[in-house]
Amino acid sequence: MTQAGGHTGRVRQRTHEGFLRHKGFRWAFVATGLSVAAVGIYFVVALQLSEPPSGGSWIGYTLGTMSAGLIVWLASLGIRKRAVSDGHYSLKAWVSAHVYLGLSLTVLATLHTGFQFGLNIHTLAYGLMMLVIASGGLGIWAYSVLPHRLSANRGEVTRRQMLDNIASLDAQLQETAQPLDRAGAAIVRHSIEDTEIGGGFWQRLTGSYGNCANKQALSSLRSLPNSGPDGEILAKIETLMTQKVDALALARRQMRITALLEAWLFVHIPATFALLAALIAHIVSVFAYW
Amino acid sequence: MAQEFHLRLITQRAAGGDPIIRERSIAGPELTIGRATDSDIVLSDLAVDPHHAKLRFAGPGRVTLESVGGAPFLLNDRSTQRVDFNVSGDPVAAFGDYRLAFAPGEDGGAVITVTREEHEHHPSPSIFSLKAPVFGRRNMAWGLGVGIFVICLLVPLIGTLWLSQAKIHPDQQWSSGPLSKAHAFLENDCKACHAKAFVAVRDETCLSCHKAGADAVAEATILARSSDGGSPFEPRLIAEHAPHNKLRIATPLPDAIGPKIGAVVQRALNHPTDRCASCHLEHTKPEKTGDPVTEPLLKDKPTLVVVQDCESCHSKLKMRLQKTELIDTPDWGRHPTFRPLIMTSPAGAKPTFQRLQLKGMPLERNGLIFPHKMHLDPLGGVARQAIVLGKSSGYGAALECASCHTRDASGTGFKPIEMEKDCASCHSLAYARDGAGRLKSLPHGELQKVVDTLNGRSVSASSVSDRLRPGTIRPTAFAANGAGAWRATFSEGGACFDCHTITWAGDTVQMAPVKLTHRYMPRGAFDHKVPEHGGPGKSKAGGFECVDCHKANLSELTSDVLIPDIAKCASCHGKTEAQTKAADDADCTTCHSFHAPGKATPPPGYPPLETLRWTQAVARRGAGA
Repeated sequence: MTQAGGHTGRVRQRTHEGFLRHKGFRWAFVATGLSVAAVGIYFVVALQLSEPPSGGSWIGYTLGTMSAGLIVWLASLGIRKRAVSDGHYSLKAWVSAHVYLGLSLTVLATLHTGFQFGLNIHTLAYGLMMLVIASGGLGIWAYSVLPHRLSANRGEVTRRQMLDNIASLDAQLQETAQPLDRAGAAIVRHSIEDTEIGGGFWQRLTGSYGNCANKQALSSLRSLPNSGPDGEILAKIETLMTQKVDALALARRQMRITALLEAWLFVHIPATFALLAALIAHIVSVFAYW
Repeated sequence: MAQEFHLRLITQRAAGGDPIIRERSIAGPELTIGRATDSDIVLSDLAVDPHHAKLRFAGPGRVTLESVGGAPFLLNDRSTQRVDFNVSGDPVAAFGDYRLAFAPGEDGGAVITVTREEHEHHPSPSIFSLKAPVFGRRNMAWGLGVGIFVICLLVPLIGTLWLSQAKIHPDQQWSSGPLSKAHAFLENDCKACHAKAFVAVRDETCLSCHKAGADAVAEATILARSSDGGSPFEPRLIAEHAPHNKLRIATPLPDAIGPKIGAVVQRALNHPTDRCASCHLEHTKPEKTGDPVTEPLLKDKPTLVVVQDCESCHSKLKMRLQKTELIDTPDWGRHPTFRPLIMTSPAGAKPTFQRLQLKGMPLERNGLIFPHKMHLDPLGGVARQAIVLGKSSGYGAALECASCHTRDASGTGFKPIEMEKDCASCHSLAYARDGAGRLKSLPHGELQKVVDTLNGRSVSASSVSDRLRPGTIRPTAFAANGAGAWRATFSEGGACFDCHTITWAGDTVQMAPVKLTHRYMPRGAFDHKVPEHGGPGKSKAGGFECVDCHKANLSELTSDVLIPDIAKCASCHGKTEAQTKAADDADCTTCHSFHAPGKATPPPGYPPLETLRWTQAVARRGAGA
């Protein structure tokens, strides 16, 4: 991709390669190879074993050790990402490996179970692992789709400008409403003081702002008789509030996309910690009751 | 000078720095406070009414503050609509964001400092990020992680290591699958088998309920232990087919590389692969019923896994067990010829045996004189006798094997030969008649009793033939010239002489002890019940009758060993159906069971679990099985 580097006229050559395409899908090939090998060994060798498939056969132990090692390494991305470095072991390479090796865990760990599930700590660990991987899958989708939407929604406006715009409208409302009586002032105050730009977790994710204070204020304002001496002021305030509706919508769309971009982490990170605990419990309990 | 209000209006600069202070005085006695620009104190806050309140002097240093439109205000943080107060007490009135701080002024006036509290919140762009105050990533991560660690690991581990008799069983969440029905009563008691944490289930734990005892008392103790422990089933008591340390040494590592490494690693980590639990697996997946509505079926018994088959140990055995006499049997084709246990002397409490090869024509010394050929000759005197005895006596034709050899309850083998039952129809032991005319018989098997019974008795010789039908008294039995009746019985022509080896030490009679072999090969099982083995039922073409294997009809000597060699077995076993219709498998297990090599390996699932319930077990023992 070639970008003109602004008004200086310099041209910067920049080739962007995302974590998914890193080094020509190197880690995708590694992960696929690993999975295919595991499936091959499982169905060719393990089914010849006399014992029923379980984590306790030699192939079960092998797959289990590999899976546990992978889980610990995958979880260490949380530590690795906080240390910025470049070169051969760049963070992008890590993320790429994290994604593909993480996906290959669905194969390795499932084969490790020998398809033996039950209401126990072992299946809990497996379920949590699948939850982590599934939420990670959402993350991959989010990171591959949403940044474009975020950028498209933003246009040339920065997030700071979005907030300043709303604050400026509030200031104008405050100023304009000064001559109003108590009832009119209360309506304007409702818009200024009670309007929540973001809202809670689910509100952001669903983007539902039906009880927005500004919207309520606008509706109340329109129900006021505007034939009096304040008519002109009320008309001006209505214009300001309508502008605020648009400004809020822009900011909230930005927040919703951001929320979608970040929501998977609210599952991925806690489930990872839960998985690490369950994994330790799984391993220790297996050897405690060997 | 009249009282006046001195106003100090303080405004913070937007860019920071010193505030702007504007001062002016308003002559009393009254001033107005409100948002309207015509107020004396203009408070441009929408929370303030255009004409909110009036302030007037109520005396020297004293003022009254009163709401105009009924909207309240705060004085010293208390909401009110009208209040008189002294300005010397640093009172503060609040209207919206504005604070009016009072202080005494000159000539009983008041100084009012008006400030605006800037609590406008300017959100930073960080509000665009998703946050969940309670269920935030960090809180949830640590909460879930620590929760699972404590509930799923710490609590059960503490219970396992230190609390042996807990009423709840948190360690059950560690169970990887259900136990089989046989062991289901132990489902809540993990430590019944997992006796020591971090130590693999040991054989001692299994054998505490399953060890075949040295005697009936030991076995009864073991069974009682299982019953008291709550087992609804009688445990199968088992032994090993060789001493355990020999088995361990004799067992090679698995052939395949994966299992080999697995075995080495497990053994190194104190997880031996020769334990009961190495082959008898619990906690395996329940069987599917195929019916989605019903629950998956629990297995009746632990899943049996053949870790090593017979050939893997019984090949190159001498390389691992230097002192073994066992001959390697890598496959059926190289099974050694039979070396039955041949009785070399029946004397003493325990007869002596020797393993001898059949091809060496070994001689058995069982103390009896019994030519099979004479008894089976269809044209001989024995046959004639049998015909005369007739069908009503169980004969009626020339003797056959079944005339004397009776099948046992299982049909697999035969009952031991008993003289009174199997021989006495012809070989009469009668010696007199009692008062009611019934025959009195000599007590068989007890030499001294025979002597005592006949002592002092003397019977005159009769001229009739000695060959008499059973039930009559044989004249020669007592015909020794002038001797006592018992002496005649043990002499040539006497009742005992034909079958027993009798010697005399002076006047004392001596009889060689008789012990008949019940099984020549106690480490192998042969099922006489199978039709092709001469058992009842229709045999496939190529099956055998008794005489095909046991050449009794040709045997003139009691010392002949009448069992066939392995070649006879191999005429069907290991053959294809093209070769013989009676072809059958050549598995080791057909004749040797791992735990009881003298018995055939029971079919899978045998005996059925339900037959092992205590009630049935007791009934079975009562029936002598």
